[in-house]
Amino acid sequence: MPDRGKGLLWLVVPVIALGVLVVGLWPGNDPTPDPEARAYNLSIRLKCPICAGESIAGSQTDLAKDLRARIDDEIAAGSTDDEIIAMFVASYGEQVLLDPPSTGWGAALWAVPLGVLIIGGIAIFGLRRKDREPVGVEK
Amino acid sequence: MIAFFGYVSILVALVSAVALVVQGIRVSQDPTPDPARLKIPAYGLAIGGVAAFSILEIGILLHDFSVAYIAKNTALGTPFIFLFAAGWAALEGSVVLWGLMLSVFTWLVWRTVKSGDGLGVLALGIIGAVAVFWFGLMATAANPFSVCTEVVNGFCSQTSWFPLATTAAPADGVGPNPLLANHILMAVHPPLLYVGYVGFTVPFAFAISALIRSERERTWLERTHRWSLVAWIFLTAGILLGGWWSYEVLGWGGYWAWDPVENAALLPWISATAFIHSAVVQRRRSVLQAWNYVLVIMTFALTIFGTFLTRSGVIASVHAFALSSVGPLLLGFLGVILIGSFGLFAMRSDVVASSPRLDSLVSREGFILVNSLLMTLFGFTVLFGTMYPLLVEAFTGREVAVGRPFFDRVAVPIAVLVLLAIGTGATAPWRVATGKVLWQRTRVGLNVGLASAALTVLAGVRSVGVVAVVGLAGFVIGNMVAFYFHQAGRAHRGGKSWPAALWSTVRNEKGFWGGQVAHIGVALSVVAIATTSVLATRTEIPLVVGETAIVEGYCVEYLESFSRVEPERNVAGARVAVLDVTCSNTRQVLEPRLHEYPKFGQVITTPQVWTTWSDDVYLSLAALDESGIRLKVLIFPFQWLLWVGGSIIVAGGALALGRKPKRPVATSERNEHSEPVDA
Repeated sequence: MPDRGKGLLWLVVPVIALGVLVVGLWPGNDPTPDPEARAYNLSIRLKCPICAGESIAGSQTDLAKDLRARIDDEIAAGSTDDEIIAMFVASYGEQVLLDPPSTGWGAALWAVPLGVLIIGGIAIFGLRRKDREPVGVEK
Repeated sequence: MIAFFGYVSILVALVSAVALVVQGIRVSQDPTPDPARLKIPAYGLAIGGVAAFSILEIGILLHDFSVAYIAKNTALGTPFIFLFAAGWAALEGSVVLWGLMLSVFTWLVWRTVKSGDGLGVLALGIIGAVAVFWFGLMATAANPFSVCTEVVNGFCSQTSWFPLATTAAPADGVGPNPLLANHILMAVHPPLLYVGYVGFTVPFAFAISALIRSERERTWLERTHRWSLVAWIFLTAGILLGGWWSYEVLGWGGYWAWDPVENAALLPWISATAFIHSAVVQRRRSVLQAWNYVLVIMTFALTIFGTFLTRSGVIASVHAFALSSVGPLLLGFLGVILIGSFGLFAMRSDVVASSPRLDSLVSREGFILVNSLLMTLFGFTVLFGTMYPLLVEAFTGREVAVGRPFFDRVAVPIAVLVLLAIGTGATAPWRVATGKVLWQRTRVGLNVGLASAALTVLAGVRSVGVVAVVGLAGFVIGNMVAFYFHQAGRAHRGGKSWPAALWSTVRNEKGFWGGQVAHIGVALSVVAIATTSVLATRTEIPLVVGETAIVEGYCVEYLESFSRVEPERNVAGARVAVLDVTCSNTRQVLEPRLHEYPKFGQVITTPQVWTTWSDDVYLSLAALDESGIRLKVLIFPFQWLLWVGGSIIVAGGALALGRKPKRPVATSERNEHSEPVDA
């Protein structure tokens, strides 16, 4: 392919692609989730109260089935996601949340890894060779 | 008799392991260490380990219910494959499998140790110390051969460790946990995972041996390179099959739930992945020496920690199949490993801190280091999130749960950054990458990424997350393929035909190209994870016989119900046809079932899946009675891509195992082959 054609290709492909992406993904085009998707997304956030670490979505127990049905009913009745979560917390306590609120003790869940990231970042930049003296046989 | 010979085998292995430690330490101090003096302990350990496992399996196949483990975990009606798998399905058996692998690995290592090799001899001593723990566990708290001495109501009610005690045997055994006897993958997944777990003992032992002997050379790293890679390949395959098992068996269509035991398998994989990458950096550039010691110690410690999580029952998990007293012992062993290894690491700070620093962060080693840090951060967060409920309960007494939503939120941004760094860094030059070179080697990927993202939008996908991930995958794969043709093009211009040029490029650097194949597998897997989690649909519909329903472009028709009696279980199911959207042409008939295990009072939903090129149609029964069924219809777009992507990762690892020729490669990166310098 001649160089000019190649250069043109490098320009045309990204421009068209970017155009498609902007038009296709313009905010508002994201469809609102249907009730079943909402119910599933709620049920993976809630722990099955009697199971060993399974979510309501994953558990095969009767209680989990009942709770899934309860979520469906609440969505049909027009409750918002936050209202349904609050209802479960009122019934079963905060331990029903598989994503603990990031207040109080929950803050540690985010703060500790973040601290590690910062310390690691400092360490990594500390590893950069300041004097730029080459290593290896070339020296 | 089974119990007696089994227990004697364990003792033979235990004594041999102790002898291996003593001889390993003594012989390694000789001026010319002679591995022949370790021959008897090495063979003794291998024979004991193989014999213990074989005798347990023979006992299982002969239905010797006078052995408590066999009475508890097998039954006369258990199908052969699950009978065989029962040899490792529960705690005591899994320790026997661990011992088998460790003892065989020890023997394999012994064969590679030549006269004068003090590093190898001492490493054998350290492996011996690990073996002392495992066979000690078998001889005491997790004795697989303890015998049944009293039977009440057909169950073994009293046991004795003493193999020659007067035994009583129930007429039939209880049988394996239904979840573990429901799918053939359960026979394959644990052994693969265990080869991975146990395999990391070898690089760990060589690292500790090098630290004890104050060896500044990276011999330990070179010699255990293939061990680490093999262990990593098996760990990857084991995790992949575990996910597949979960998808095929658990009935809710998930392959990963961020369950503590799943995390326990993932954690060593994460640190092992970081390790095999930074090991390449040390071998090529003589940097990251301290980091590699840390990673190999962490990987080994995490394998023990994973076993502790799985086997101690400390954390409530759907997979924690065995509760027992081995928890404290495993925790103690873990403490000894961590304190001992890092104590030694601190004492040898002069040895580990001698490596020079990076020239530039913008280089292949720089990107690997960044990814290494990201993996470590990810691993730490998963570890912390897994232990967090335990910590909060210990300090405040409050109960909390941490699950999938938290881990998803952590994993998604890290995965994006990792893919970006792979796409940019894997083809970047070593030492220092100029902006120009970086641009040359990423512009194809940028275009491919943008184009594939745009095509995804044109195909109707409106989820920003999925489009972004497809774009990133296109970026990674585009760069890789472009670099491949670029390198092969050099060989072609050097006079080779294209096929020969393409082949020789891979052959000359199997390690590098194996890694790139694995990266492509990672990119494809991440795409599959995005499509199956974001674009999946879940519908539950009631159906009576003959009724049809349209679900997401498929038509399902309930044909009839059926039931049958199988060994150890009753099967009830529904025959459901999947038709095209006009409900006129049957494309597949599926049989989602309910498996009832009367002995356990347990019913297991067994889904059935039909894979098309674009979707998995996953049918699972929510209810079944005379009036009809409640059918769950789950559609997972491109689910197959996860299994294919995962297999490509494993294949890439296998390709990287191929030895590379000694001849240096003619590339601009001549300094790849620079020799290490003792600074």
